[in-house]
Amino acid sequence: MNTMARSRPPGGTPAARARFRIVHATRYLYSEAVPLCQNELHVRPRDTTRQTCLTHRLVIDPLPVKVEECRDYFGNHLQFFTIHDRHTELAVTAHTAVELRAAERLLPGSTTNWEDIASLERRALGDDLEVRQFVYDSPHITATPALVELARESFTPGRSWLEASLELTARIHRDFVYDATATSISTPLADVLAMRRGVCQDFAHLQIGCLRALGLPARYVSGYLLTTPPPGQPRLVGADASHAWVSAWCPEFGWVDFDPTNNIIPSLEHITLAWGRDYSDVCPIKGVFVGGGEHAMNVSVDVEPLIEN
Amino acid sequence: MNPLQAAPGRTVGDKLLAGYSPPKGVYDELLDPAGRMRPQWSEFFQLLDALGRDELERRWQQSRRVIHENGLTYNVHGNPFGRDRRWELDPLPLVMRHDEWQGLSTGLAQRARLLNAILSDLYGPQHLLREGLLPPEIVFANPEFLRPCHGVRVPDDCHLHLYAAHLARSPEGSWWVVADRTQAAVGPGYAVENRIVISRMVPHIFHHCQVERLASFFMELRGRLGSLAARRKASPHVVLLSPGPSSPTYFEDAYLSRYLGYPLVEGEDLTVRDNRVFLKTLGGLVAVDALLRRVMDQDCDPLELNGHSAVGVPGLVHATRCGRVVVANSLGSGLVEAPGLMAFLPRICERLLGETLAIPSVRTWWCGGDDAREYVLDNLERLVVGPAIPHPHRKPVHAASLDSDQRARLAAEIIASPAHFVAQELVVRSTAPVWNEASIKPGHIALRAFLVAGEGGYHVMPGALAHVSSSPAALGESLFMGHGSKDVWVLAAGPVAPVSLLQPPGTPVEPRRSGNDLPSRVADNLFWLGRHIERAEGAARLLRSIVTRLTSEAAPGSLAELNVLYRALCGPLSAPAEDDAGPGTVATMELLLMEFLYDEHQPGSMQSILAALGRVAKVVRDRISLDTWRILKRIEDDYRPPFGRGAGAQSDILTMLNQTIYNISAFAGMATENMTRGPGWQFLELGRRIERALNMISLLRGTLSVATTGEHAVLDALLEIADSSMTYRNRYATNLQLAPLLDLLLTDETNPRAIAFQLAALAHHVERLPRTNGEPLLSDEQRLVLSVVSAVRLANVQQLAEPDQAGERPRLDALLDDAGIKLCELASAISHKYLVHAGPAHQLAEIARR
Repeated sequence: MNTMARSRPPGGTPAARARFRIVHATRYLYSEAVPLCQNELHVRPRDTTRQTCLTHRLVIDPLPVKVEECRDYFGNHLQFFTIHDRHTELAVTAHTAVELRAAERLLPGSTTNWEDIASLERRALGDDLEVRQFVYDSPHITATPALVELARESFTPGRSWLEASLELTARIHRDFVYDATATSISTPLADVLAMRRGVCQDFAHLQIGCLRALGLPARYVSGYLLTTPPPGQPRLVGADASHAWVSAWCPEFGWVDFDPTNNIIPSLEHITLAWGRDYSDVCPIKGVFVGGGEHAMNVSVDVEPLIEN
Repeated sequence: MNPLQAAPGRTVGDKLLAGYSPPKGVYDELLDPAGRMRPQWSEFFQLLDALGRDELERRWQQSRRVIHENGLTYNVHGNPFGRDRRWELDPLPLVMRHDEWQGLSTGLAQRARLLNAILSDLYGPQHLLREGLLPPEIVFANPEFLRPCHGVRVPDDCHLHLYAAHLARSPEGSWWVVADRTQAAVGPGYAVENRIVISRMVPHIFHHCQVERLASFFMELRGRLGSLAARRKASPHVVLLSPGPSSPTYFEDAYLSRYLGYPLVEGEDLTVRDNRVFLKTLGGLVAVDALLRRVMDQDCDPLELNGHSAVGVPGLVHATRCGRVVVANSLGSGLVEAPGLMAFLPRICERLLGETLAIPSVRTWWCGGDDAREYVLDNLERLVVGPAIPHPHRKPVHAASLDSDQRARLAAEIIASPAHFVAQELVVRSTAPVWNEASIKPGHIALRAFLVAGEGGYHVMPGALAHVSSSPAALGESLFMGHGSKDVWVLAAGPVAPVSLLQPPGTPVEPRRSGNDLPSRVADNLFWLGRHIERAEGAARLLRSIVTRLTSEAAPGSLAELNVLYRALCGPLSAPAEDDAGPGTVATMELLLMEFLYDEHQPGSMQSILAALGRVAKVVRDRISLDTWRILKRIEDDYRPPFGRGAGAQSDILTMLNQTIYNISAFAGMATENMTRGPGWQFLELGRRIERALNMISLLRGTLSVATTGEHAVLDALLEIADSSMTYRNRYATNLQLAPLLDLLLTDETNPRAIAFQLAALAHHVERLPRTNGEPLLSDEQRLVLSVVSAVRLANVQQLAEPDQAGERPRLDALLDDAGIKLCELASAISHKYLVHAGPAHQLAEIARR
């Protein structure tokens, strides 16, 4: 998505908080019956400093024996279930309501310069580990000289970390084309860089790769985005998919989110599900099955403002 | 001469050791720097001298044959269809002093405790990182750090059950650890096999030398794993999880499974239900309490770990998280294999154990540290540079072997990402005597020692696996590099007590007849073994009849039946010959024949059938007798393209097809005479009978559906293919007619080649398949068999033989067609109900697309 349509109330001050209802529906379709399907979900939003999950309900058809829940390594909600009955179709729907509080307005020049943050690496001890663990290569993101080069255009010597990060976000938004057909889960970052095309997941990986290549901690955030239709057109229910963006760290503000797909600092439209080193840690739905012949997966996401009575 | 009295100095072994001269500047295991034999060897060489060079060589050649016949191999490329390489072994063991081995053992046991403690910490509170004793890169950037396994509690905090240390002896004589193997220690099975070969080759020397036995090691392993699993259940079920025949060490997997008495299973055999692990058997699901895994960490669970793994068990991580199964070694234990860790072990040992590290690692510099990096860059040409944590492309490289450009590039890489590199001192390995074409030469050795977590701590196998190479550089970390392996003899302090893994004779054993606990996958493989062997026989018999006619005195063009036989060969779907009137040209026939004989890509060709047979034979190898295995090997070995072309070649082909048919008959004889009538045999038979019936159906349809002129020649060929000429002649003399032939090949339940015979056998076996108790109705399989059996029994061969006005036999064709369809349905019903392996698991994952 490359529009900048925002959902601000006309005139006046921006809202301080917002509530949403989300329906995230996934269907697996198989040409032949599947005797066994095991699934791992990251679809229950975690609570954050700016977000509270109000309700969460999973509807699964066919009915699993039970749904188990635990926290993963990064503290996200992780759910498991297994279907033992032969089935040719599996539907998983997550019904969720959340409340968001607006992000603090940050002045681009208000942070330390980026080199100071990068050099913290050497002293990573104690609680710093929680931050520094996001500096290293991960399954989908490997720091390369090409990424350093891309990052250096914005991260010039002595520049404020926030200013540079905002510019990098803007450049990715400007220089890369949103193209849902260009990439798949397995497209390497180098190809995204060469094609200058991709989807939110690719752009998030790209920006994280740039930051990490400079020694700056950055993590991948999986979630949803409220989208509003062009004026005069009805909102399409379920037309959306899940979204992904970047969270990066500075000593002044802690973790700050950046959305390179839309060139904004997420505030009242981005609902966080989970975070990790990259997509592989927090994939919303993952299923392993045997048999099934030809198979397909359909996902729809619908985010709707919750009107309070 | 008293052989027990060691002669001093170098006089012992002089005859054999003439010309043995170790290179300068290395430690020699046999001779001290003054050239005197070290005392632990004197008895060995005294006895060896008495044996004599020629006798040793003779016995050695005999032992090499045993190695070949036992099928002791490894698959060098891990290619499922690749040829296995023979295991190379040196007849001279490495002899170690008792006290020296004790010292080494104490040090290695400490290292095992240490690595286990590090795993507990890193998969738990991570004090080592918080206190700065280990740089975070070594853990957080390490692909072997499995985050889903963090916080998983393992019973007794035992992560490492089996551990292998790779050792090298420095010129000063001290041992260094050069690598740690903590996921699935490869080698203990090969060590036992080496021991068996060598101790059988020179039994009297082995006994006189008082060598420590290896069996106690495996008893410890079995005892400990059993007792951890037994907390859940009185008689726990332990299995050995193998990656399967494509693994380079499948031989050892199968060997260990037999030696330890743990069933050999693959990922597909196991399933996780309600967070428990179960083995899929013919009789249903059987709970598994512990598994000894030979599968790498990341491949163990395609759900939470590597989604592309085809050898794992989906849900295994969560089952361990729930504490429902013991996995040895614990998932994620590969983390401590990182070479980068070695640089920090002394400090960590002080912190975690409060002890000084007893056996040093090879000197290691982690380039992430400023001082270390500077040292490495200044001394590059003296060092071996490798990845600090596992990396898909980087391999250790000896910088001295690089030219100046390459070295500059390496230095630049180190500067660009220093934390990814370690440098290690080049180890000049010690030498030991090696038997080389009937003389003894020094060879460089690497030692692989094995440890097991037993009650009360780690135990070192009293013996090890040594590798030999003519150059010290060729001894990498792989089991398969270098020129061969050696048995390692640790001399005992006193008399050696016999140890056996077999239970003592007094232990009461309930007699039992193995029932339904055969893994479904094994039954499936036996089913397909049966099908492929029959398919091969059918093809060989048909091809033989064609080749016989091509090589007969009559001009091939004049033989009307040849065309019909070709039609049967190509199958009913093939396009009709260009002209219905006459046969294709002899040249095109010969070309086609060669394709059906030797083209592996031609469906239904002999070569393709044998390839499939070979693949399935390999995977059932541990389920069939050695003799049966040898026959299967011969079927493959004896089938070779002829030299040259023309009539001579055709007669070669004929001889070869005859041989193939004999070999297959030998297999059938083995199956009939030597296999226990258990479920394994039952599924082999089901496969054979289904395939033989289908074969005959397709042969009869291909040749008889349309009446041809000169049909008696076709009938004659059919009797020949079905090995029934003799019976026919006995019954009907030379009066060759279709109806009596149909009786003999279709409806006669006493002819082992007839379709009716196969159906009766199938009815018998299907009746005995495991069934849910109290199922009142007929199963699908029973229904299918019954319907074909009655259709064939009710058939009137006179009517079937009668052609209609168009010269076709629609009734015969319809009967055979229907029987064929029902038999295919039967095969698939059996597959679905008993054998179903819908194949490996697939993963689907949602992509963030917005």
